[in-house]
Amino acid sequence: MLVVPATLFVAIGLIGPIAILFRYSLNQFIPGQFMVDGLTIENYVKFFTDSFYLNVLWRTIRVAVACTVVCLIMGFPLAYVLARTQSRFKNLLIMLVVLPLFVGNAVRAAGWMTAFGSKGALNASLMGLGLIDQPLEIMFTETAVIIGIIAVNLPFMVLTLQSVIEGINRNVEEAAFSLGAGPVAMFRRVLWPLAMPGILAGTILTFILAMNAYATPVLLGGPKFQTMGPLVYGQFAQQNNWPFGGAISFILMTATLLLTIAANLIVQRRYR
Amino acid sequence: MARLSIEHLRKVYGEFTAVDDCSIDITEGEFLVLLGPSGCGKTTTLRMVAGFIQPTAGRITIGERDVTGLPPWKRNCGLVFQSYALFPHMTVAENVAFGLEMRKIAPADRGPRVTEALRLVRLTGLDERYPRQLSGGQQQRVALARALATEPDVLLLDEPLSNLDAKLRQEVRVEIRDLQRKLGLTTIMVTHDQEEALTMADRLVVMEKGKVRQIGTQRELYEKPADRFVAGFIGRSAFLEGEATGGRFRSEGGLDIACKAATAGPATLALRPERLAIGTEAEACANRFPARVEHVSYLGALLDIDVRLTEQDRILLQVPNRQGAAEPRPGDMITIGWAEDAGLVYPREP
Repeated sequence: MLVVPATLFVAIGLIGPIAILFRYSLNQFIPGQFMVDGLTIENYVKFFTDSFYLNVLWRTIRVAVACTVVCLIMGFPLAYVLARTQSRFKNLLIMLVVLPLFVGNAVRAAGWMTAFGSKGALNASLMGLGLIDQPLEIMFTETAVIIGIIAVNLPFMVLTLQSVIEGINRNVEEAAFSLGAGPVAMFRRVLWPLAMPGILAGTILTFILAMNAYATPVLLGGPKFQTMGPLVYGQFAQQNNWPFGGAISFILMTATLLLTIAANLIVQRRYR
Repeated sequence: MARLSIEHLRKVYGEFTAVDDCSIDITEGEFLVLLGPSGCGKTTTLRMVAGFIQPTAGRITIGERDVTGLPPWKRNCGLVFQSYALFPHMTVAENVAFGLEMRKIAPADRGPRVTEALRLVRLTGLDERYPRQLSGGQQQRVALARALATEPDVLLLDEPLSNLDAKLRQEVRVEIRDLQRKLGLTTIMVTHDQEEALTMADRLVVMEKGKVRQIGTQRELYEKPADRFVAGFIGRSAFLEGEATGGRFRSEGGLDIACKAATAGPATLALRPERLAIGTEAEACANRFPARVEHVSYLGALLDIDVRLTEQDRILLQVPNRQGAAEPRPGDMITIGWAEDAGLVYPREP
C-alpha cells in the first residue's frame, strides 16, 4: 500500500510524458505547419545519416565517459578516507563534499567562466607567476566542459562510494595485509571487488548525469560546442521541431541505457 | 630462547598512553593470553605485534628478526579476528589460499595445503561454499585455517571466540588449544573473558591502564597476585583497608589481624572468599572474629555469604554447601577465621 503513491507518481509523471514524447518522435515536421500527425521513422533516419548529429552523440559519450573515469579515480581515494576516518569532524567533511551541490548548476558554471576566461583567475595567476606567456584557451573547449561536469558529479560519486566502503569491515583489509598482501594486492583483490556495488552505482549515476548535462556544456562549451542535452532543448525551443527533438531525446535515453547495461554486464561477468 | 620478544613497548595518543612500557617474552610454542578490562591496552599491544599500529617506542622481535618497523604484510603473523574477517567474495578454498597466493606459491602446490589446513580445522568438503553460507563457528574455523595455511611464525588471536554462543565457544576453545599444541604454534590471544583465559593459556599477562600488572601461570596469578588489582581481577577477593606493621594488620574497624606483611604503612588486606572458614572449622585459625551475616546467596554447591565484622569491615566468604550443615541466615552471628598466610597485604595504592 505504501508504494502506491510513488508508483502512481512515476507512472503519471515519468512514463506518461515519455510515451507522448515517443509518439511525437514518429510525427512529421513540416516547416510552417509545426507538427503533422504521422507514423514515420524519418526523424531517426535524419539523425543517424547526418554526421553533424552523430558527432554530437559521439562527443557527448566521450565527455561523459571521461568525466565518469576521472570522477572514479579522484573520488575513490576521497571516499575511502571519508569512510575510514575516525575524526569527529567526519560529518563536517561530508558536508564539504556536498557543498558544491548547494550552488545551482548555472551559478557554478558562471563561476567557472570567470575562472577559466582568458583574463580569468587561473590565467591571471599563471601569467602573474610567469609560467605562461599567452592565456590558456580553456573556456569554450571540451576540457572546460569536462572540468565543469566533474565538479558537479564528483560529490555523487564520493557519497555513493563512501557509503559502500563504510560497509566493508576494516578487519577484512587487515586480514589481507596480515596474509602477506601489500597495499596494491589488497586493493586489487579485496577492496576493489568488495566496493564493486558502489563503483557500479557511482559510475552509473555519474555517467547518466554527464550524458544529460545541460547548463554546464551550454555555459562552458559555448554555442559551437554541442552535446545532446542542449541539442534536444534547441530543437524544442528554438527550431520548434518537436518530432526531431523527441527522436533525439529517445536516442540519448537509449544510448545512456545501453551503455549502462553493457558496463554492468561486463563488470558482473568479471567480478562474479 | 624467546620466539617473540616485546621490549619496552609504548603507544601514546596525544595525552593518552594506551600502552606503557610493556615487556613480554614468549617462548617457542607457548600460548600466551593478554587479559584485562576493556581499554587496558591489550588489543593495542596485539595490533602493534601484528603491525597495524606503529609503537611510539620499544622493540618487537620475532625469532631473530626485528619487525618493529616492518609493515604487517612482511611480518608473517597469522591473525584471527573476533569478526572472522573472511573475504566475503571468495569461497572457503579461495580464502584459505589467499595467503599462499600472496606468497607466490604455485597454484598446483596451493591445493594440498588448503586441503590440509581445512582438514586441521575439521572443515573438509566445504571448499566451494561462500562465507555467508557457513555458521559462525564454521566461519571462525575457516579464519583459523586461513591463518594456519601460511605457516605463520606467530599466531595472533583477537577475541576469537567472543562472537560465538556459549556452547560453541567451549568447543572451539578446546579445538584451538589442541591445534596450537599439536602444531607447536607460538600464540598470543587477547581476551576479556577470564574463564577463557584461564582454561587456554600457558601463561597470562594481566594488563590494566596500559601497564603490565603481572605475568605468570594461572596458579601464580591466583596464589600470589602481584598487586591489589590482580587480586581483584583474577578470581574474587575481599579487601580490608587498614594499616600494616611488621606481621600485623590493623583494619579501619580496629581488627588486629595476624598476617605475613612485608610492608608497613597504609595497606590493603586481600582475602580469597573460599580460604575463609566458619563455625567449628574457624576455631583452629590464627585469626578468628565474630561476624554478622548480612546476605546469603545460594549457588547450589556453594554458598556466598556477605558478613560484617565491624562497621567498616565487610568481607565475602564462600563455603561448600555440606549436607546437614546449618545454613546461616541474615542477622545470625557466626565465627569466621582464616590462617595467617591466607591474607595478602598490599601497600595502599594512591
